[in-house]
Amino acid sequence: MEPIIETKNLSKSFKGFLAVDRLSFAIGHGEVYGLLGQNGAGKSATMRMLLGLIFPDSGNIFFNGSEFSNSRRDLLKNVGAIIERPDMYGYLSGWENLKIFAALSGGKIPATRLHEVLELVGLKGREKDKVKTYSQGMKQRLGIAIALVHKPELLILDEPTNGLDPQGIAEMRALIVSLSQDHGKTILISSHLLYEIEHIATNMLIMHKGKKVVDGPVNKLLNPDKNLVEVIIRADSSIAGKLASSQWQQYLQSKENTIITFKMNPANTPALNKWLVGENIDVLEIRTKHSLEDYFLSLTNDTVTKDRVI
Amino acid sequence: MRKLWGVLLFCFGTLPVFAGDANELFYLLRARVLLVKDYTADVKMKINVTYMRVPQLSGTLYFKSPDKMRLERHGGLSIFPKKNTNLTLGNLIPDGKVIVLDMGYAEKAGKKLRILKIVPEDDQSNIVITKLWVDEANLLILHTESTTRNDGTVTMDLEFGNYIPYALPDKVTIFMDVKDYKLPNGLAMDYNDELDIAEKAKKEKATKGTIQITYLKYTINTGLDDDLFK
Amino acid sequence: MIQLLRIELYKIFKRPRTYISFVIAAAITFVIQLAMITDGKTFMNFAMQGINEQFEIQGNIINGYFVTHIILQSLLVHIPLLVALVAGDSLAGEANQGTLRLLLTKPISRSKLVFVKFLSSFIYTVILIIWLAIVSLLLSILIFGKGDMINLKSETFIIILKNDVLWRYMAAFAFAVLAMTTIASMAMLLSAFADNSIGPIISTMGIVVVLAILSNLEIPLFNYIKPYLFTTHMIGWKGFFDDPVPLGAIGRSAMVLVCYTTGFIACTIFYFNRKDITS
Repeated sequence: MEPIIETKNLSKSFKGFLAVDRLSFAIGHGEVYGLLGQNGAGKSATMRMLLGLIFPDSGNIFFNGSEFSNSRRDLLKNVGAIIERPDMYGYLSGWENLKIFAALSGGKIPATRLHEVLELVGLKGREKDKVKTYSQGMKQRLGIAIALVHKPELLILDEPTNGLDPQGIAEMRALIVSLSQDHGKTILISSHLLYEIEHIATNMLIMHKGKKVVDGPVNKLLNPDKNLVEVIIRADSSIAGKLASSQWQQYLQSKENTIITFKMNPANTPALNKWLVGENIDVLEIRTKHSLEDYFLSLTNDTVTKDRVI
Repeated sequence: MRKLWGVLLFCFGTLPVFAGDANELFYLLRARVLLVKDYTADVKMKINVTYMRVPQLSGTLYFKSPDKMRLERHGGLSIFPKKNTNLTLGNLIPDGKVIVLDMGYAEKAGKKLRILKIVPEDDQSNIVITKLWVDEANLLILHTESTTRNDGTVTMDLEFGNYIPYALPDKVTIFMDVKDYKLPNGLAMDYNDELDIAEKAKKEKATKGTIQITYLKYTINTGLDDDLFK
Repeated sequence: MIQLLRIELYKIFKRPRTYISFVIAAAITFVIQLAMITDGKTFMNFAMQGINEQFEIQGNIINGYFVTHIILQSLLVHIPLLVALVAGDSLAGEANQGTLRLLLTKPISRSKLVFVKFLSSFIYTVILIIWLAIVSLLLSILIFGKGDMINLKSETFIIILKNDVLWRYMAAFAFAVLAMTTIASMAMLLSAFADNSIGPIISTMGIVVVLAILSNLEIPLFNYIKPYLFTTHMIGWKGFFDDPVPLGAIGRSAMVLVCYTTGFIACTIFYFNRKDITS
C-alpha cells in the first residue's frame, strides 16, 4: 500500500534561514507518526508545507501517491489539522466555530456529527459559550473537534499538548491514542518531548536544524533491548573480575570508575540488582535510559527531563 | 376707470399711428401703465447669469403698484434680484414732472419705434435718465434703458401678445450688471470636471446677466394686500 | 462559493466591531444635522454672501436635500475609514487571530477566499452606504423637509428643483458605493501583506489622505498625475448635482475606479496565492 504521505527532499528557507533541509520521510496508513525535535527544528514548517500553508523551495509532497500541489483541495478534504495554537473566532461560540469550519471542510456535515465530535472531545454543554471564555485546554479540544468533524483519514497535530495543564496533557494523549486505536486515524504528531512520542507514536522521526537525524518504528528506535542501564556503585576493585566471569559481561557497554553501563532490556534490572547484592557490591543507584535519549538530550536541552516526570 | 379703458381701446382702433407730440405720448403711456394697480400672474422665470445655473422656475408673481413684487414658488426656493423694483415698468417710468425729449425714430427688430428721452425734474429721483422705445401704433413700450442713481444701468425688453389692452407684457427680459461670485475658501470641494467649466466661464468675462420672465396668465386689479409682500 | 460568502458575512456581522461603523456614520450625520439646526442660518449667510449681495433667495434653503449634501461632503474623509475598518481586517485580522491557518487548511482555494472576502467587504460597503442614505437623506428630509436644493460650488451657484433631486441622490449613493469599493479593495490588498489589522487600516487612511491632498492641491506639477489618482475620481458623485450633469466625466471617473478596484483585487489574489502563511 502506498504511504498516505511521502515527502522527497523537502526544503524550505525563510529569509536565508534554512528551516527544512532535504527532508524525506513516509507515513503509512494507520500509523501514529511522531515528529520529534526541539523548538525551531523545522517541525512546524514541515507540517505547514504538508498542509499547503507555506510553499517548499524544492522537493515534493505526495498524498496517497499524488502530488500535493496538483490536487491540494481534494487532498485537504481528507485531512484535519491543528497548527500551533488552536486559534478560533473568539467572538463566536464553540458551536458556531465548529459549524463554520465543518461547512468549509467539503461536503455536508449533519448537526448530529457536530454533537458527536463535541461529545468525543468532552465539550458537550459548553458549546454555546463564546470561545474567548474557553481555557487553553478547551480551545485545544475544540481544535481537535474541528480537525475531526469531517472524518478525515489523516490528522496533523502540531504540539497538541502545548500549553495544557498536566491533566489536560494526560487527557489529550489518551484522546490521540484512542483516535488511532478506536477510530483508525493516521496521525502525524509533533512534539519536543521524547517521552510523549514514545507513548503515543508508532513511528517517529527526529529532526534537528531542519534535517532528519533518524527515523523508524518507535519500538525499533527505542528497542528495550538496546536501552541503557546505568549502575552506580561504591568503589570496589573486585567488580571487573566478578563481572567478567558472569553472564552480565555480554551486556557490558562501558565502565568508568563507579559508573557501569549495560546495554540490555530494563526487564533484566532486578536480576542484575540481585546479582550485585549477592556479590557484595554496594549499589548506590540504578537508572534506565533510552539509547536515543542521551543523544536527544544533547540536542534539546533540559526541558525534556523536566517534563518526563509527568 | 372703465371709461378710460374704453377711450384707450378706441384710440387703438382709430389711431393706427400716433403722430402727436412726444410729451403727450409719454403721459399717455404713463397713464396706461399706471392703470394696473396690482396683478397676480403665473410666470416662468429664467435666470441667465454666468456663475448661476438655475433651471427655469415657475411660480406665481405678485405685483402691487408702484414697486412691490414677489415670486411665490409654492414650497420651492424663489430667487429674485435684490433690487427687484427694477423689474417693474412702473418704476422705470419716472413719476412727477418730467422733461420729455423727442429723439426721433429708430428701427428695432424690424419695427419703426419712436424714442423718447425722459429726465425727471425731481433731482432726488432714483432715475437719472430713461430712454423709451415706443410702438406708437399700439401705444406700447418695447424697450427701455434707464440710468439709475443707485442700481446702475437697467435695460429691459418687452414683448406683448395676449394682454395688449392692459399694456401688460407676455415676456420681459431684463438686462442687468452682475458682480463676480466666489464661494468663501474652505466651503467648496469641487469635482474636477467643474473647474474646467468655471475656467471657461471666467474667460467669457460676461458681467451682464439677464432675467427672462414669461407671463402665462394675469389676474389684474384684485386689490392685493400689502402683507403679501412681507 | 455562496456557502463561503455566507460564512464571511456571518463572521462580519456577528462581530461587534462591525456595528461601530454604523454608529459612527450615524453620529457624523447627527452632528452635522444638529449643527444645521442651530447654526444653519449663519452658515448659509456666510456661504452665500456673494449671492446675497445681488439676489434675494427666499424659501426653505436649509432643507433635507441641502443638509444631506453637506453630510455627504464628509464621505471622502470619514467613510473610507469605516470601510477600511472591515476590509483592512479581512485577511490581516484572520492572520492576527490565527484563524487564517485553520481556514487555509480547509479545502478552499485561496483565490476564491480573497474574492469572497472582497465580495463580503463590498456587501458591507453597500449596507453602510444604504445606512448612510437612511440616516442622512431620510432623516434630514424628516427634520428639514424637502425643497429645491442649492449646490454651492467655488465659482458656481446651482439650484436643483426639488422633484429633480432624488434620482441624483440615488445615483450619487451608487457612485459612492463604487468609490468605497475601491477603498475596500485597496484595504484588502494591504491586508494581504500584513499580519495584524491596524497596519492596513492606518495605511489605507494614510494613502487616502495623502492622495486626496494631492488631488486638491493646485500645483501644476501635480496636475499631470491628478487624473490618475483614484482620489480625484472618488468625488465623482458630486457631478450628479451639477447642471448639466457631466455624464462623460462621471463615466470616466467610474471607469478609473473600476480599473483600480480590479487591479487591487488581482494584485491581492496574485500575492496571496504565493504567500507563506507563517502567522
